[in-house]
Amino acid sequence: MIEVKGLNQTFMLGKKHNQTKLQVLKDVSFTVEKGDIMAITGRSGSGKSTLLNLIGGFMKPSGGQIFINNQNVSEFNEGEFSDFRLQHIGFIFQNFQLITSMTAYENVELPLVLKGVPETQRNELVINTLAKVGLADYQNHYPSELSGGQQQRVSIARALIIEPPIILADEPTGSLDSETEQDVLAFIQQLNRDYGITFLIITHDEEVAQIGNKQIHLHDGKIVKEELAR
Amino acid sequence: MTWKDKWRFVRKNMKKSKSRIFMTVLATAMGVTFLIVLASVGFGLHDSIIKEQLQDRAVTQMEIAGLETEGAFQLITDKQIEELENIEGMRAVTRRVELQQTPSFQIEDYEGSGSTVVAHFPSEIEAGLELSEGKLPENDHQVIVGHHFAQNLHQANVEPDELYNENGEIKDEYQYSESIVGKEIEMMITQMVDGEEQQHSISLTVSGVAEAPARDWMIDTTVFISEAVLAEVEEFTGTPRGARNDPDYPLPEEETLGYHQVIGYADSLEEVETISDMLKEKNYYVYSVADELSQINVIFTIAKAGLIFIGTIAIIIASIGIYNTMTMAVTERTQDIGIMKAIGAHPKKIKQIFLIESSYIGVLGAIIGTAVAYAISILVNAGIPLIISGAMGEELPEGFQFSAIPWSLVAISTAICLIVTILSGLKPARRATQVDVLKAMRREI
Repeated sequence: MIEVKGLNQTFMLGKKHNQTKLQVLKDVSFTVEKGDIMAITGRSGSGKSTLLNLIGGFMKPSGGQIFINNQNVSEFNEGEFSDFRLQHIGFIFQNFQLITSMTAYENVELPLVLKGVPETQRNELVINTLAKVGLADYQNHYPSELSGGQQQRVSIARALIIEPPIILADEPTGSLDSETEQDVLAFIQQLNRDYGITFLIITHDEEVAQIGNKQIHLHDGKIVKEELAR
Repeated sequence: MTWKDKWRFVRKNMKKSKSRIFMTVLATAMGVTFLIVLASVGFGLHDSIIKEQLQDRAVTQMEIAGLETEGAFQLITDKQIEELENIEGMRAVTRRVELQQTPSFQIEDYEGSGSTVVAHFPSEIEAGLELSEGKLPENDHQVIVGHHFAQNLHQANVEPDELYNENGEIKDEYQYSESIVGKEIEMMITQMVDGEEQQHSISLTVSGVAEAPARDWMIDTTVFISEAVLAEVEEFTGTPRGARNDPDYPLPEEETLGYHQVIGYADSLEEVETISDMLKEKNYYVYSVADELSQINVIFTIAKAGLIFIGTIAIIIASIGIYNTMTMAVTERTQDIGIMKAIGAHPKKIKQIFLIESSYIGVLGAIIGTAVAYAISILVNAGIPLIISGAMGEELPEGFQFSAIPWSLVAISTAICLIVTILSGLKPARRATQVDVLKAMRREI
């Protein structure tokens, strides 16, 4: 489903004429199978967010290749990756990344709007998806009127609405209290179980990493440990 | 993403910054109003002058003064008339010979004078000569008179001081007031013989009166006589065209016989230019309203283009406002753009949304600006004649307009406004597509 081959990422830091190289990822290779929950762990600065951003197409790799559904996405340009994301990848962000001027309904509807789904079909899909995440009664609420857990559920609903085969989650519980964290993690597991959605989760939290059936540990941009669930 | 959804996005975004959008639309509308009103003066004056030019003559008319042969001017003769009549697209060729003296005319106790011409009636009829009264001559001694001929007749033996009013016109009570059609008039011609003036009278019957000239102020007192009457005149005077033996103005040794006034009438205005050019190539002296119009058109086209250019500067100034508004919009919505891109919004769609927004500002500005320009144009056309007559005491010709807004001007200004607004929104829109997703979501912009 996701195949990462010899991925390297280098950033140039400092002033223009006095730059220094910082290699964030060093020859990273791994595979995520369909239906997996893969957890990528590591301390701050280990390169795990960079890895997710590369797989999500938010930046171009300095070297190596990324295959998603057998397509070499590392060669895509920005427009091609946008279209690809809209069809194949859902995102869950640590800070939810909801558009504050839109209601929960409108935020969840947004991917369908971008896909060009007719308005008549959108209504039913959005209401069903909001019901699935337990927010049917909150559709007209703005993000500022929702709790952190509810906002993350809206974010999950927005990722789910396009029925993606893959969801990339960047610290999905990082902004939540422990009780809500358990709810969200249980929900992720449920989605994986019921719909076969593949998850790639970035976390520094061991408890979150435990829900994965595969785990990769990054240290200084290198995979130092790769293990299957106990 | 459907156009309806893009439009919904634009409207929602615009609602968020109503006052800023309002001010930008206002500035654009003012620019469009300025452009239209400024150029409308050029269009208005052009229309008025063209109308003025076309009012007093037929647009299909060409004055053919003569012909240049071997470097010398020659009047048009029957030979050239035949050639002119055979030109394709030429409807009629009228030709007139002027009597070389101004005879006096008498009817009962009234007398008056008028220029006398020999006209070729079939061609005059084809050219559109119409009678307001009576019919065409049926014999050589019947004549047609100009529309104002009868008004020019006055009672004989009235002192000039008494005859005319303060405007120099014949007082009503001394004017001939009856219908002149069917009446017999005496044409008095004179000739100097051995230093003494001798008179000869020719009896003529008025068979018809011509239509009034197109212009109100033109006075037509012409008398159209036949070739036979001209021959009688020439027999009496012993000179061609009835010229008097005046010691101060001796007759030329060789009189060029030809028509004094030849006018060609084309089938349509479009044919006038073709025929006119062809005749000029053949060394005819031709002057048509088309020549005048083309000169006027060239001058006014340049003037209008200049005015539109100056007006465009106002829209360009307004476009700075649009650029600022759109740049602000992109900056304010950077995070939203980042989120949309992260979800899968194609950069082209983001660009389109911002371009629609700047175009919408342009369209609103163009609509409001055009409406205001129309209102100003109506006020100017109503107000300026009043100001001129009040301040300078001069009356403008009826129908004269300072400002005219044809659809072409509306189309030009709308197109300029849209092009300028789209161009000014282009850079901010491009900037929106270049928003870095990661930076935007971390709010680092």
